Amino acid sequence: MLMMNKKRGRLISLWAFVLLISVVMAGCGGDKSAGDIVSGDQEGAKNAGGDKEQVTITHYTIDSPDRTFIEQLIPEFEKKHPNIKVKVEKAPYEQFDSKLQTLIAGGNSPDVTSHYGYGGFAEYYNKDMLMDLTEIMKEEGFNSSDYSIPDNLMNIYNVNGKTYGIPANIYVTLLLYNKDMFDAAELPYPPSDYEDKSWTFEKMVDNAKQMTVVSKDIAKTQYGLDFFWSERDMRPLYFGAQPYSEDTWTNGGVPSETYFDSPEVISAYQTLFDLIFKHQVSPTSEWSKSVAGQNGDPFVAGKIGMSVGGSWNLAGANDFPFKIGVAAVPWGGNDKVRSTLYVDPLFILKDSKHPKETFEWIKYLLTDEVQEKSIELSGGNPPVNTKAAEAYYKHFEGIDPEDVKKVYEGATKCGFESFNHLITHYSQINDMFINEMQPIETGHKTVEEVMPTIQKKVTEILKR
Amino acid sequence: MRSSPTAPASNLYSNTRRRTKPDGVKILSFIALIITTFLMLLPLFFMVSTSLKSHREMLRFPPSFLPESWSFGNYSEIFDTLQFGTLYKNSLLIAVVTVLGTLISSALAAYGFARYRGRGNSLWFMLLLSTMMLPYPAIMVPQFILFSKLHWIDTFLPLIVPSFFGSAYNIFLLRQFFSTLPEELFDAGRIDGCSEFRMWYTIALPLSGPALATVAIFAFIYSWNDLLTPVLYLSSSDLFTLPVGMASLTSSRFRIPPWHLLMVASVLAMIPIVTLFAIAQKQFVEGIVLTGLKS
Repeated sequence: MLMMNKKRGRLISLWAFVLLISVVMAGCGGDKSAGDIVSGDQEGAKNAGGDKEQVTITHYTIDSPDRTFIEQLIPEFEKKHPNIKVKVEKAPYEQFDSKLQTLIAGGNSPDVTSHYGYGGFAEYYNKDMLMDLTEIMKEEGFNSSDYSIPDNLMNIYNVNGKTYGIPANIYVTLLLYNKDMFDAAELPYPPSDYEDKSWTFEKMVDNAKQMTVVSKDIAKTQYGLDFFWSERDMRPLYFGAQPYSEDTWTNGGVPSETYFDSPEVISAYQTLFDLIFKHQVSPTSEWSKSVAGQNGDPFVAGKIGMSVGGSWNLAGANDFPFKIGVAAVPWGGNDKVRSTLYVDPLFILKDSKHPKETFEWIKYLLTDEVQEKSIELSGGNPPVNTKAAEAYYKHFEGIDPEDVKKVYEGATKCGFESFNHLITHYSQINDMFINEMQPIETGHKTVEEVMPTIQKKVTEILKR
Repeated sequence: MRSSPTAPASNLYSNTRRRTKPDGVKILSFIALIITTFLMLLPLFFMVSTSLKSHREMLRFPPSFLPESWSFGNYSEIFDTLQFGTLYKNSLLIAVVTVLGTLISSALAAYGFARYRGRGNSLWFMLLLSTMMLPYPAIMVPQFILFSKLHWIDTFLPLIVPSFFGSAYNIFLLRQFFSTLPEELFDAGRIDGCSEFRMWYTIALPLSGPALATVAIFAFIYSWNDLLTPVLYLSSSDLFTLPVGMASLTSSRFRIPPWHLLMVASVLAMIPIVTLFAIAQKQFVEGIVLTGLKS
């Protein structure tokens, strides 16, 4: 009997606890939603009697310090524009696209964002998610030169004369080199000048050969070169081969034809895989993973002489335990294109209820002063604004600002926007490339064997 | 005559000695077990070791086994860089309430399925099981619209309330367990005038310790690790959960992730799971003892 009472008492207290927690949660919940769900219009109604209706706009971004720094820019903007409140909505990188799609489908679309996730501009454009900014730009008298945005960058997000995005940041491809390894091999440092005609792909491979040490002891092994020029499908462009038809760049990213099984494209891939298997100056992906982890970069561990990749690699430069320098990407056979550009624009989403106020926020983010301030706040995001860029070039300890400037200017001049921003269904194309090229990377298949399958699969994906 | 106390004791001693005399196979299997345990614990060891390394040392290859300089400061740094205390508190609160919700609702539904026979009984059960085949992305948008209409966005409610409506997997698990309980116990209860609800909580629940512990562990781990749901429903940083905060550490495509801090977070995040498992393990053992009461 006593046992029974004890048990009943315990059960009653358990129920009471659950009820209490539920009531507390509901209380917290009610409080929170009442504040944050209020749309701009409703808030405006609350503040009726003020000069202007108050609206809340939502900026959707990645939850990492190099993106969420914009929160620190809000107070000053709100002081200048008392009728506009800015709310930052964030998600981790992997969930960025899912949350965006859910928010839009659920009728809670943010007002402004960029293609920070796996999907690129072309995907957003073809899903009809973006607002045409042409009219609003005309009404507001927006002139890109007032914000020192180069015209060629402004044109990237223009389809059939309509502008859908305004560039805010620009990353380029550059060659990062380990000065300690160059010194040990008694090699002269590679040039940062894009006009230097002696700096070619062959010369780079020669340098790499002299720095490569392949030993049974994994701690002693080091390679001369890691070539991550853009995503896999774009790499033939570096050697002058065109994998997608020309109309892709003018019609919103839907190629009418692809040429992945052409002799030029096959030979370009062959040259790249020769770096690993024939010249043995580049590591296999297994070696890279064992040294640096799944998504890590063995350059960071001091095991690579030269690394050709996106300029974001510079951002960690101040932490590297060795001396580094930057150089131009060597000439590889394409006179027009030597660098991939990764221009991050700001888009206004089609379902935005306050496009004008959102445009006001975008303009604020692009001003010389804010773009310069953003470099420090973000920990080294490269601005698209050419005036603010001067401050960016000086941001890196131990690297000559003059070199960074030359590399950036040269790369922008002979750069082509990354395919991942310009081609529709890109995340599927990229996944397919990673899977299909795996057997070549492990040495189980040849380039000639794989490329016809890739050509077939790309065509299928594009038809979806 | 008093017998000498030493004689039987020495006999006992020698008997014991003889019984436990190690043989070669045992020694070999223990060595194999020790090696396997060591290998299994190695990642855990590296997690703790990396959590005590400096940012610079973390990048070095080959990695050092033990930190060169012990950076205990990492453990306080995580509270500054990540609002770790808030994240931890939120995750714990959500997980505890979710466990309670899951236990109560799933046990009630499972009891119904196990003990009552009615028309279409198995059809309803099949329908319930079929909900297990719906992947979360399929219900993501409709559920978001529902909670958005209820003005529950940016609150914990969308993360907690669904657990009070049962989960197919746990109902299935508990139903199987309840079905094994002997009918005689319930008949005895009925004769004594026990109500149906009381039979559930005085007969069925106390006898189902191991099953309830399993469900509690599953529910806790699921809620503790869940990333997508909080990402979808929470937008204020002070409501974020541990997985959301930890994902933000590796979210930048353009920076070297602070692995040492991530390892600190992982070490601390492991504590509740290990504690819960230790408690539940006791419950398992008790449950096995209790099975003596069955039929």
